[in-house]
Amino acid sequence: MLQHEAAQHAPEAAQHAAEAAASGKFNAGETIIGHVANSSAEHPLIHLPTWMGIDFSVTKHVLMLWIVATILFVAVTWMVRRYIKQSPDRLVPRGSMNALEAMVEFIRDAIVLPNVGKKWVRVWTPLLLTLFLFILGANVIGLIPAFDVIALMNHSFLHLPAESFFSRVLHGGTTATGNFNVTAALATITFFAIIIAGVRAHGFIQHWVNMVPKGMPWPIYFLLIPIEIMGMFVRPFALTMRLAANMTGGHIALLAILSFVFIFAELFGRAAAGIGVGLVLSVPLAVGISALEIIVVLVQAYVFTLLTAVFIGMAIHAHH
Amino acid sequence: MDGNAIAFMGAGLGLGLVVIGAGLGIGKLAAGAAEAIGRQPSAANQITGAVNLPLFLLEGVAILAEVFALLIVLLK
Repeated sequence: MLQHEAAQHAPEAAQHAAEAAASGKFNAGETIIGHVANSSAEHPLIHLPTWMGIDFSVTKHVLMLWIVATILFVAVTWMVRRYIKQSPDRLVPRGSMNALEAMVEFIRDAIVLPNVGKKWVRVWTPLLLTLFLFILGANVIGLIPAFDVIALMNHSFLHLPAESFFSRVLHGGTTATGNFNVTAALATITFFAIIIAGVRAHGFIQHWVNMVPKGMPWPIYFLLIPIEIMGMFVRPFALTMRLAANMTGGHIALLAILSFVFIFAELFGRAAAGIGVGLVLSVPLAVGISALEIIVVLVQAYVFTLLTAVFIGMAIHAHH
Repeated sequence: MDGNAIAFMGAGLGLGLVVIGAGLGIGKLAAGAAEAIGRQPSAANQITGAVNLPLFLLEGVAILAEVFALLIVLLK
């Protein structure tokens, strides 16, 4: 009987959804997902061929990855070159180099050194600095609504043709690290870094031997070895999901609050209701959540780097 | 009540339980840290450093639960 009722309601529900989509009603779910997820895979920004089963077409998140990488590369190399070009015996940092130096010292002294030990600091600091700056850059650029401003200009006076690159680049979310594929790639780097750290410190076989504690009665190893192997994979998976979910969650919350404006405007039929709700409720809440997002952005970059350092340290100092 | 309703209820209930657990855990962590700093203010930096890691691991557990609840709701 439940099936019969469901079958009865299904065509009504489908008709309702089609009506709603056709009449231009504000669909909050679609709008939120459209602003957070990647741009459509069928209509990529730059179409590239498929090689060995992997489609290399450029979507919005790939474009954001390139933009973040370019900005970071240009900014950091320019700052460091300007600093090094001073007379070699008096290297005094000026201006922005101070900030970069503070960041590098913080990561080296507070994150890498306590976990990895003095012997391996110079080996692992570059990787952890790269991870930190890249994740921080990608997170922060996701907070800047540059593409939304361009979309607003497009809608009001630019009116770019609908199929041009600039129109298509406005679809999709800007937070590259909100995509779990991106964070999975970063976590894969961590996965291999842990193995390489252990192998360099102890040799190939000894690294795997170090994963289980020594001196236990032999039947326990049947339980411990699968648990350690699972742990080896679960830790990067947790890193992946932690970063991706934190980034998308904040953006979804922000967009949902701003959607109240449109939902109330439609509910009461006039724009004034929407604007009223916006002024009193949505905009102050959105400001609060954006402030929280700034904290979350910094914290998530720090946590990813810290956990990578901790896991690398665990692989290096396996015999406490 | 069709299967979807039970799935949604399960996801919501489970998520609520996870949030209770995470909130209790983080609260205990913060209380312990505040008390320790009160006993020895000169060790404040070290205590903060020791608290950081378990804090984010616990937060990660809560976020993982949120992801799985979303999966339940979206994948039906």
